Amino acid sequence: MRETMQKIRLKVWKFLKKNAMGWAIMLPGLVLFAFYIWIPLFQNISLSFFETAGTAKVKFVGLEQYQILFQSRDFIQALGNTFEYTLWSMIIGFLLPIIIALILNEVVHLRGLFRTLIYFPNIVPGIAVAIMWMFLFDPNSYGVLNSLFKTHHLWLNNEKTVIPLIVFTLTWKGAGATSLIYLANLQTIDKVYYEAARLEGASAWQRFRHVTLPHLKGQIKMLLIVQIISVFQVFYEPLVMTKGGGPNGASSTLVQLIYQIAFVEGNAGKAAALSVIVALLLFMLTGFYFYFGKERRKHVGKIAK
Amino acid sequence: MAKLRNKTAGILNFSDYKKWYFKLFYVLLILILLFIVFISVVPPLWVLISGFKEPSELFSPKFSFFPEHFKFSKLLSAWNRLNVGKYYLNSVIVVAGSVASAVLFNGLMAYVISVLKPFGHKIIYVLLLMTMMIPAITNMKTLLGNIVKLGLMQSYLPLWLSYGANVFYVVLFKTYFDSIPQPLIEAARLDGASSWQIFTKIIFPLSLPIAMVVSIFTVNASWSDFLLPFLVITDPDKQTLMVRIYRVNMNPPSGMTQDQILLLIGLSIIPVLILFGIFQRQITDSVATTGIKE
Repeated sequence: MRETMQKIRLKVWKFLKKNAMGWAIMLPGLVLFAFYIWIPLFQNISLSFFETAGTAKVKFVGLEQYQILFQSRDFIQALGNTFEYTLWSMIIGFLLPIIIALILNEVVHLRGLFRTLIYFPNIVPGIAVAIMWMFLFDPNSYGVLNSLFKTHHLWLNNEKTVIPLIVFTLTWKGAGATSLIYLANLQTIDKVYYEAARLEGASAWQRFRHVTLPHLKGQIKMLLIVQIISVFQVFYEPLVMTKGGGPNGASSTLVQLIYQIAFVEGNAGKAAALSVIVALLLFMLTGFYFYFGKERRKHVGKIAK
Repeated sequence: MAKLRNKTAGILNFSDYKKWYFKLFYVLLILILLFIVFISVVPPLWVLISGFKEPSELFSPKFSFFPEHFKFSKLLSAWNRLNVGKYYLNSVIVVAGSVASAVLFNGLMAYVISVLKPFGHKIIYVLLLMTMMIPAITNMKTLLGNIVKLGLMQSYLPLWLSYGANVFYVVLFKTYFDSIPQPLIEAARLDGASSWQIFTKIIFPLSLPIAMVVSIFTVNASWSDFLLPFLVITDPDKQTLMVRIYRVNMNPPSGMTQDQILLLIGLSIIPVLILFGIFQRQITDSVATTGIKE
């Protein structure tokens, strides 16, 4: 009996000795992740079932906050808008980085310079980008684009064009950086494959269709999901460029609505409920992401064999 | 054209470029790239230059790219009047602390997950990865409530430490640590090195390049950061440049004109521009290899 006790004690001691150092070094980081993300997340979930004053719980109301949201016009509009943003970002922003990468991969002149300048918009601060495009899209006759092209477009003040224009500015900032990710992948294609295809008599289009495209496929799927997730988080642009989702809420997004409810209306419970909804939506999308991620790893493994 | 004659990589190679229509196609590709570069570069350039315009020029329906008079003194007087130096300094303080905390906390976290691998490290890593999909704004209200409770409003501490909990940086570090040959670490362990010594003597010196990359990303992210600084620092004397820009753009103080807002934006771009100029190779390379954009 005593022997087994001692054995167990020895095992526990060994276990601690092996792991304690690691845990100790990790602890400060874990505390930070807990403070900035995990704890607020759980507070949010619990807060979403309450009526609140400030961030204090006043009364348990069950799913009432969710119910109020689903019946509110703002929520329905922001949800619809968010999907509209996603759709436009597929049209404007999805193919462009692939095309840029393909071109960069073919061009042999000034390659480094092209790469650098095309990446450049990504480093311009988000707020600066938003205000910059506000100036360019100024609806007055002295607005930059209006005065340049002698037009009288309303740009961001037009409910029909505001979302595609904001997606355009997002693409302006992000497409170059994304194209470099594709480019890195394109450069891993061994030229032997192209050579073999050429010897078989494949045209340039067939080489693209049967060598390049299959190689990119996994990455295209992954970055598609990444892009959808990032579009779901559009926040600065409707906050700054359309002063909080205007005109008439035509450019509001779910995350910007969270900000609106939490900090302008000051309704923490309702904001928490909306946060939970957004987190659930993103959770589902990320599920897809990891599913496709797995498939891609398998694919790469096959080639390596 | 010599470059085309020697081109062997890519879909089209030198033998294709013997044909005239592929040569034409190549010229077309270059033109498309030039157009994209133009769109990428000219708008920020317009901002930088237009800060020097007079308000009347900005409100003229006749478009002009360059200002009528390029007065450098305008920059100096605006710098003084708008107190840009103060906001620059605040931003620099925020950035410096953020970089230190980003490298230290995320680096140590990745070191434990990648090298020490204590019991439970896999679950921790999954929990970290899951934070990737949670937009910062969803947690902001409750996080701010906690910051208030801890009495940390108007303090830079919550801004600095927020960069210590960044899963993208953990992934960057971990991927790098994973590539350090295990035998090197095993040998040190056999020689009796402690986990701490392994970190300071082997991992740390080897990981300077990745620490550099994380630092560059953090400088850029923290300099551009808006939401948390906006909510935590409400004291106008302690605001960062980005928060200041947002505030004056939303509610211009009396006497503030459009050209001054443009000057402020231009001045907010210049530091990242310089950073990018120096480190563009490291930045673009690391984006390409890791797939992480910022």
